[in-house]
Amino acid sequence: MSPRTGLVFFPAFDWAISPTHPEREERLLYTRDQIFEEGLLDLPEVCEYRARVATLKDVARVHFCIPDIRAQATDAHLIAAGGTLVLADALMKKEIRNGFALVRPPGHHAMRVVHGNRGFCNINNEAIMIEYLRKNYGIKKIAIVDTDVHHGDGTQDIYYNDPDVLFISFHQDGRTLYPGSGFPHEAGGPSAFGMTINIPLPPGTTDEGIHYVLDNLVLPIIEDFQPELIINSAGQDNHYTDPLANMRFTAQGYALLNAKLKPDLAVLEGGYAIESALPYVNTAIILAMAGLDYSCVREPDYKKENFVMPSGRMESIKVLVNQLQEIWKNRSELTEHVRKQKGGGEFAEERRSIFYDTDYIREQQKEKIRLCDRCPGYHLIESHGAYPNGSTKSIYAVAIPWQACPSCQEEARSHYRQYVEHPQGFDFIYLQDKPNDAYYQYCVREEKEISYE
Amino acid sequence: MIIGIDVGGTYTDGVVIDKGEILDKVKIPTKPEDLLSSLLEALEQLIKASSKSEIERIVLSTTLITNLIATKQIEPVALVLIPGPGINPAFYNFGVPDVYVLSGAIDYRGREIEPLKEKEIQECVEAIRSRGIKRVAVVGKFSQRNNTHERTVAEYFAKNAPEIRLVMGHKVSSRLNFPRRVVTSLLTLATQEKYQNFYLQVKKALEEEKVDAPIYILKADGGTLPFEQSLKKPVETIFSGPAASTLGVLALTPPEQTSIVLDVGGTTTDLALILSGKPLLASRGACVDSYLTHVRAFATKSVPLGGDSVIEVRNGNLEILQQREGPAYCLGGPQPTPTDAMRVVGLTHIGDLRKAREALTKIGNELHLSPEKTAELILENVTRKIVAEIQKMFLAWEQEPAYRVWELLQEKKVRPQNIVGIGAAAPALIPLIGKKMGCQAVAPPHAEVANAIGAALAKVTLCRTYHFDTHRNFYFVEESGVQEKLPKRLSFLSDAEELAFSLLKKEGQELGIPSDEKPELVYSEMFNMVRGWRTIGRLFDVCVQFPPGILRSHLQRGDSGVS
Repeated sequence: MSPRTGLVFFPAFDWAISPTHPEREERLLYTRDQIFEEGLLDLPEVCEYRARVATLKDVARVHFCIPDIRAQATDAHLIAAGGTLVLADALMKKEIRNGFALVRPPGHHAMRVVHGNRGFCNINNEAIMIEYLRKNYGIKKIAIVDTDVHHGDGTQDIYYNDPDVLFISFHQDGRTLYPGSGFPHEAGGPSAFGMTINIPLPPGTTDEGIHYVLDNLVLPIIEDFQPELIINSAGQDNHYTDPLANMRFTAQGYALLNAKLKPDLAVLEGGYAIESALPYVNTAIILAMAGLDYSCVREPDYKKENFVMPSGRMESIKVLVNQLQEIWKNRSELTEHVRKQKGGGEFAEERRSIFYDTDYIREQQKEKIRLCDRCPGYHLIESHGAYPNGSTKSIYAVAIPWQACPSCQEEARSHYRQYVEHPQGFDFIYLQDKPNDAYYQYCVREEKEISYE
Repeated sequence: MIIGIDVGGTYTDGVVIDKGEILDKVKIPTKPEDLLSSLLEALEQLIKASSKSEIERIVLSTTLITNLIATKQIEPVALVLIPGPGINPAFYNFGVPDVYVLSGAIDYRGREIEPLKEKEIQECVEAIRSRGIKRVAVVGKFSQRNNTHERTVAEYFAKNAPEIRLVMGHKVSSRLNFPRRVVTSLLTLATQEKYQNFYLQVKKALEEEKVDAPIYILKADGGTLPFEQSLKKPVETIFSGPAASTLGVLALTPPEQTSIVLDVGGTTTDLALILSGKPLLASRGACVDSYLTHVRAFATKSVPLGGDSVIEVRNGNLEILQQREGPAYCLGGPQPTPTDAMRVVGLTHIGDLRKAREALTKIGNELHLSPEKTAELILENVTRKIVAEIQKMFLAWEQEPAYRVWELLQEKKVRPQNIVGIGAAAPALIPLIGKKMGCQAVAPPHAEVANAIGAALAKVTLCRTYHFDTHRNFYFVEESGVQEKLPKRLSFLSDAEELAFSLLKKEGQELGIPSDEKPELVYSEMFNMVRGWRTIGRLFDVCVQFPPGILRSHLQRGDSGVS
């Protein structure tokens, strides 16, 4: 195995959500200064790659974009996603031993259905990378650890019912921070209960608190799950100087996390302390992933005595970790229970409302999951988006997972055909047919089908 | 009338050019241990062929610094580093025993984040003195954005150890990359005295010859610099030989074309690229003898394969070895070589055909092939290797990282039109390579002195990257290390570009760049600095240059090159 760490650096110096938005050109400027000045890219342990443009099919493998992919994924989005694919290829060809996609715009709030931008995200970089790896290299079991301060609700949504993806997110308690979700009871769909693990942490949690969770919950569960690949959804806003959150994590804490977790691939997510955190945190992560000494990477104002975890909060974390350990241990029985609870019929049904904070869109979603004994079942999604200009869009979408059994596959495809013939008021009908790696979108008004085969 | 001389590792080449016509050319073997005498010998002959009063300029390209570094004849230097937070400074290996690390730190915006400690400076000076080291490079991380730490340390040395020669990192290079700044500072200091010696001797010789034309020196980036100015950073003259050859090809081929420059020597083949009339620069600084530097250089590649490479059969396979054991067999050497293969198939007429056949018969017997078939096989092997290296060079250029959306969307798919051969074995090889790559083989006239022609016609270049910070109200220049207050208010990118051009032109005038020469914008970008949802200032990065190129006005027939 190559001893090198792959790096794709795509700071998108000519792209912003708006001129003063946290997600603007300047975000990785000082990070560039620091990593270039350190000479990190000259190290024999580090190998830099040029990002590339992801294809629309790469996006279609994950998302239902409304009204179409190009409306949601600008060139910058496709390049950020494509950057992760470059590293995926390099890893699979054994050119590198691990890789870090230091790219923007981020993606972990983007869900399967995309009406617009939520939490600065349009398309989900990690999910696009994972589905690419599964399709092209036959990878099945993957663990994602979301280390962003915000709950990775987009990634959670995409893998909620996938028994082969372990999704672990630790984040600042959703009662105190966007997106307001990520509680322990959100533990997975009827075919993957226990495979989603949410760890809401109290504001002010330090390195000590996060490493307690890592050592006592995250690492043992990953060890138990035995994934083929570990992905770090690497947000940097747990940092003590982040302007949008309230945690007390440090550059050293981040480096140690990566040294312990040993992710095969890491993808940058949030992190908006562009001067006081990002240059140091990114330097520390790159060094840690490359197996080099990161002990001299310190924030200028770091003083050890300022980072003491109040004992009460530490206790509450320990209690939470115990509860989650129980869920993991008992996940098979709990899955049975959940399936029974859902009525034991053909479908489990869920309704929810999703808000797109960046674009002011309100989405109402009804999702039905086929309960099958042989496979995780397929998804039927009705989604209705209300846009700020008063207009609306409704879609009907069918998603067939990789693992679907032949009869579920056939059933799902017939649902799509049926709705294409009788659209029942929907504007678009979608089919995500992963077993065939074929993706369709039927535009009702134009009576036209777009396909990515 | 212009004189150009390239003192290379094997040969010293020179030309006198007048109004696009080559009046005289010389080629003499270089004495590696006495480059100066080779230079003066060539110079003497060229001066004879010209009328002294009409010599407008003399341009030199020399392998002096490259040789000093490669043969480890550099002077001992102590490093005083101010690295601040980041990579553990103990991790860097600069190949020198005396490295002193000081407290203190500057951040990426040029703010002091940790002060120096005077006691440490004092101890460091004492230690260096007691070790008897006479040269010190003081280099701080981000010193290019705030040089006060480097200056403080330098002043301390000046006061307490005035016998020590010292350079400050920000003066050597202000581009991002601290380790490269350290290495470049180290090499600058370690070669300065020998270079100065060389300078004085050349000056003296010219005075004796009563030639008072200005002397220029060629740099790795294909630009020339007044000889005297190069004393500050002699390290910039490394790899001027390949740069000279590339410029020579530029002069000998029509403008705006895309060409591969192939210089086939005895043991190596040097490659360079000219893309749409512009020599390709390396994306990072030059690497000399495993030292990574900040020296701006053409992207060149040296393949260990030449006309005199030894050919053997090993385990029934034909192999071209990396070493040379003398000239080709047909020229009296001990071993079969690619040159013998060229002789056998008639691609060249140098050397004894009978001996060439003899050499290839020996190889052919082992492979059960006729000498002709063996020759073809050898040439096919050589060609395939060189083509693979050329393709790798194009690929590396296509795969250079891009940090902007527009940049990444640019299709880098230029394909070569010409393969231009210089060097002894080149004319025989380029038709084979051209055929494989689908481009035209060009063997220009005077190719054997293309390097000297390139040196003679090289333009004075100047590249400056300005970093304007309206919030801190200051700017610095990456290449020169200047750090000043902003001379005017900057609001828009166009203001910043205008200021950059006016600063560049001013500096260009001092270097003698003609006022009608048009500088070009390499890139410019603007960043809003937003704190708490409010714009508090702007950062502008503007890079402008008088690009490398050749004095086309000295070419006889406009487009068609030197005759």
